[in-house]
Amino acid sequence: MLLAMSILLHMMEPSLPIPIPGVKLGLANILGLITFFMFSYKEMFNVNLMRVLIASLLRGIIFGTGFWLSLAGVLLSTLMVVVLRKTTRLSIIGLSVASATFHCLGQILVICFLNGTWLMVYWLPIMWLSAVPTGIITGTLAHQVLRRIMKGGYSV
Amino acid sequence: MNRSDKIFIGIVLIAALVLYGTMQWFVTSSTGANTVAVVSYRDKEVLRIDMSQNKNYTVQGTLGEVFIEVKDKAIRVEKETSPYHLCSIQGWVQYANVPIVCLPNHIVIIIENATEDPDGEDTQVK
Repeated sequence: MLLAMSILLHMMEPSLPIPIPGVKLGLANILGLITFFMFSYKEMFNVNLMRVLIASLLRGIIFGTGFWLSLAGVLLSTLMVVVLRKTTRLSIIGLSVASATFHCLGQILVICFLNGTWLMVYWLPIMWLSAVPTGIITGTLAHQVLRRIMKGGYSV
Repeated sequence: MNRSDKIFIGIVLIAALVLYGTMQWFVTSSTGANTVAVVSYRDKEVLRIDMSQNKNYTVQGTLGEVFIEVKDKAIRVEKETSPYHLCSIQGWVQYANVPIVCLPNHIVIIIENATEDPDGEDTQVK
């Protein structure tokens, strides 16, 4: 069910107007974070990975450029969330910001690889500047959901 | 949000600013007097544009034609077929090494210095 909600958010997001290139709200990541805190890292990997695969299938352009960008972003960000959870004391909001920043990094690395030049790194500063507020927003939303559905509280 | 979060956010913001500053310096210092815009489709060069002439060009992208305009030593994508039109929103680029990327059309435009550099990156071995 978490996966279904995640896919839904992933697919409806392009209809939200944001004029800056490469910037998106990443709402689907809310579900990934919720999954991580409700279950464990394996489930988060599952939800995030399957979200990218299924959303790509539903859009009909599997293995296109967008798919590889999303895949790289999601893999790197999920991995880093797990690592940072173990090694630092970031709260869910911090983890969400981290998730956003590494998602951007993953996407840019793929674009650099596909175009054979490091110049694509040009997009990274503005993406990171937007990753901070979007990460805070999605982290806050995830936190609010978890507060309400986890009986007995959850550890931040 | 706790202290670790704020530290991390600070790191991200500083990294973004440092990266931006570095890129700006790199981009302005690497723009010489004679520049050439290289247009690539799927990573293969399809057009080489002399930036000193004001002219319009058209290249074929994956989704349709991409209209390029050169004026006053700056280049931009005027119009193209794509979901978000990000590359035309990007506007004019006058510095070398700043890429205009039209991902859906697989078109990349990068300004390079025209001087022939025998040790330069004319070929890339992958």
